[in-house]
Amino acid sequence: MKFTVIAETNEDLLHPTVYQLIGAISKIGAETTVICPNGKGSSEASKIKGVEKVISVNGDCFHLFDGSAWSTAINSVCEGTIVISASPNGREIGAMIAAKRDIPIIQDVTAISAGIEVTRPIYSGKATETLLINGDSVITLRPNAFENAELGNEAPISIVDQTSDLKISIIEAIGKASERLDVTEAEIIISGGRGMGSIDNFSHLESMADTLGAAVGASRAVVDEWGMPHRMQVGQTGKTVSPSLYIAVGISGAIQHLAGMRSSKYILAINKDPDAPIFTVADYGIVASWEDALPILKSELMKL
Amino acid sequence: MGYEALDFYEVDSLLSDEERMVRDMVRDWVDKEVIPNIENACREGVFPDEWRAALGEMGVLGAPLKGYDCPGLSYTAYGVICRELERGDSGLRSFASVQGSLAMYPIWDFGSEEQKNHYLPKMTSGEWIGCFGLTEPDYGSNPGDMITRAEEMDDHYLLNGAKMWITNGTIADLAVVWAKLNGVIRGFIVEKNDPGFSAPEMKGKHSLKASVTSELVFQDCKIPKDRILPGVKGLRGPFSCLNNARFGISWGAVGAAQSCFHSAKDYAMSRIQFDHPIASYQLVQNKLAWMLREITKAQLLAYHLGKMKDVGEWIPEHISLAKMNNVDVALEIARVARDIHGANGILDEYPVMRHMANLESVKTYEGTHDIHNLILGRHITGIQSFTREI
Amino acid sequence: MNIAVLLKQVPDTTAKITISNGKVDENNVSKWSMSPYDEYALESGLQLKEVTGGSLIAITCGPERTKKMLTDAAAVGADKLIHISEDKVLDSTQVQKLLAATVEKSGAEVVLCGKQAADTNSGSTGPGVAEILNAVCVSMVSEVSINENNFISTRPSNSGAEKVSSNGISVFTFDKGISELRRPNVRGIMMAKKKTIETIKPEEIGLEIENSDRITLQSQNSPPEKEPGQIFEGVENIPEIVSKLRNEANVI
Repeated sequence: MKFTVIAETNEDLLHPTVYQLIGAISKIGAETTVICPNGKGSSEASKIKGVEKVISVNGDCFHLFDGSAWSTAINSVCEGTIVISASPNGREIGAMIAAKRDIPIIQDVTAISAGIEVTRPIYSGKATETLLINGDSVITLRPNAFENAELGNEAPISIVDQTSDLKISIIEAIGKASERLDVTEAEIIISGGRGMGSIDNFSHLESMADTLGAAVGASRAVVDEWGMPHRMQVGQTGKTVSPSLYIAVGISGAIQHLAGMRSSKYILAINKDPDAPIFTVADYGIVASWEDALPILKSELMKL
Repeated sequence: MGYEALDFYEVDSLLSDEERMVRDMVRDWVDKEVIPNIENACREGVFPDEWRAALGEMGVLGAPLKGYDCPGLSYTAYGVICRELERGDSGLRSFASVQGSLAMYPIWDFGSEEQKNHYLPKMTSGEWIGCFGLTEPDYGSNPGDMITRAEEMDDHYLLNGAKMWITNGTIADLAVVWAKLNGVIRGFIVEKNDPGFSAPEMKGKHSLKASVTSELVFQDCKIPKDRILPGVKGLRGPFSCLNNARFGISWGAVGAAQSCFHSAKDYAMSRIQFDHPIASYQLVQNKLAWMLREITKAQLLAYHLGKMKDVGEWIPEHISLAKMNNVDVALEIARVARDIHGANGILDEYPVMRHMANLESVKTYEGTHDIHNLILGRHITGIQSFTREI
Repeated sequence: MNIAVLLKQVPDTTAKITISNGKVDENNVSKWSMSPYDEYALESGLQLKEVTGGSLIAITCGPERTKKMLTDAAAVGADKLIHISEDKVLDSTQVQKLLAATVEKSGAEVVLCGKQAADTNSGSTGPGVAEILNAVCVSMVSEVSINENNFISTRPSNSGAEKVSSNGISVFTFDKGISELRRPNVRGIMMAKKKTIETIKPEEIGLEIENSDRITLQSQNSPPEKEPGQIFEGVENIPEIVSKLRNEANVI
């Protein structure tokens, strides 16, 4: 059974997820070809265990992302089952290559076994499904759901010149909006309560939020007493949120607060009171003051 | 959690597609715009102007009226709209009831062609707000003895008197006022800038706090001659308006009750006492089951009454029964829901105490609970018991 | 200009998903809604229509119940409603072919859809349809406008966002858009009720759908039970927690 991995890059290096894609294929006892658009990361890829060969596809079209041009250029060298990261670009190229080859595509896979059998979450994680694939397909793998392949290889690198006409042009770059995310939209929320001591200490939560790309929330006590804006309030009379990760700092967890955030996928609570009700809904709890816990948490997150 | 309306017998499956789409539209709006802002509106004692605009844009004002740009929906659809609005707040539903059933309806049914063309399009769009002046400080359940008088002058009518408990009064652009002209009750359209007319707001309510309640004062108020409603004389005029408003209330009360049930169930499932959710205790389950039972019955009453209105086979007593019953059980459901919420039930974090306080008004306005009983008593026995002069 | 908007009906994001006999029980879904990103595509389509004076064609592929969503689209201004009716279980490429053929038949010059639907969360449809139509594809856009003969769309980039120009038939997949979604109103609902839904069978657009054996559904399951909460005394375990959040929970 043949596999082809399409590598994404981060600047000139392989994106860390490429190691995971190759790791997943190795796990089911197969080797893979790795395609590196414009040759980026090709020598790095050749050193990963489980790589049979590396193909640099070099072309002018790779200067800006146009899924249509990229997939046309890459498709010519694809073989067998094509594996890509389920990143936005990966999903787009994957869907286009699947359409070109008239083969099915399964996106956002979180487990794979020989056969090929894959499992993926559906309904935003409210269920999962397991599918058996017959014949060639495109599979995109969820980032960080698979273990990395190891280094220790000298796979051959070949170069193919292949480009395709770009169908789009970039006419303007727009800087990142500095506006902070709204709690109802954020994937990660970091909320503070009365345990933060004073409104000034919310700056610590804000800097944490910047590290994580998170929104900052607050309990009702803080909104009412310290005059935080109501749009930040999470709870019965505030916003009902269900982010992937909710970090509650110095929030005791009154039933009204829990009503607004208990459907979060994961809850991390930091509180110095071991009996705080917030720990009854937390997946992970740290019994410590925020002054002690936040700096360490932040430095750990920076390492990622 | 998203709002899932209690509908144990799936009564809503009997609605037409159109009625269901209208329901979803209003429900969605209430979720997004009303519920997040209602407590603030209550605290400030205002009816947010954006709500007026949104009701007009959605096109639900005067729902069952046809022509003159009015929606032309079924009475059942009108009921559904009232239910969804009152799930948010009775004050919001009151606004819509007064605008549609009490101000637009009499113009639509009893007004001249010129009056209809002049007022109705601007009222259904929400541009002009109407109110309805019947009740007086000393004449509530007994409107027939009202004091407010109209006198016919050369080129105008002269109004004198006062009305009380008038929803929308202070914010209204026009009032449909019932007054005696030569001893006969007639309807008049008074506009806000008419000389001698004022509408001071009544403050200090513990109920319907997000709704404006006013007095209407007429001191030698001059209105042009073309403002009399030509099509009706006597109490039949105001009573036909009230029939429609009461019909809407019988649906609206279901919405308030559904909101209370939803909150009580949610709370009981998540509130832990003695190591278990209180929903797991028999006394709480008994309360929830009773709420379910009464809401289901109220839904069936409202739905069937809607169908009777839509085919025109109804008598006012049918409406009296539904208004009286549904408000009565909704109020009791709100009280029981408050009880299930324990001390938390008195907080504005939960809707139950607000609904409870609102429903105390709803029980009294548009024909008190007891008056509706007397209407039914007269229907059963043929003997009126409103006055001693039998 | 004819504007096609591809819509999918999904269980409302607030609805509970229940599994029975190894399958998601669709009969138990309390509310079906238009997939949230599709709503932004529809809104943008309506705005394009207002500018260009064209016609907006709402297209969906799915069972009978999806017709309600088309009527909802008509209530906010969709002009033409097309329901592709096929009872067989389709894989993603088969759906794309049906949609692409319907778009082609409709004469649309621009195709809008959500970046992914809230059921499978795949995001294959837009790019796949673009590929079949040999069209331009720009994904995850927040707005699309038209400037002379070019479409100008805004999509995320590493440094924030970028404006992309394209011409010719183009497919745009929508992330959350910048515009507020319009509300329906009673007038729209009454008009929508009278609007006919055109039903298309695959054979009518020259496509014969074979029973696909390329993908077999083995089972659908509830997500694995979360482990009971782990509470740590003191700050020593923070590195371990962070690594669990990344590697087990996959949330950072």
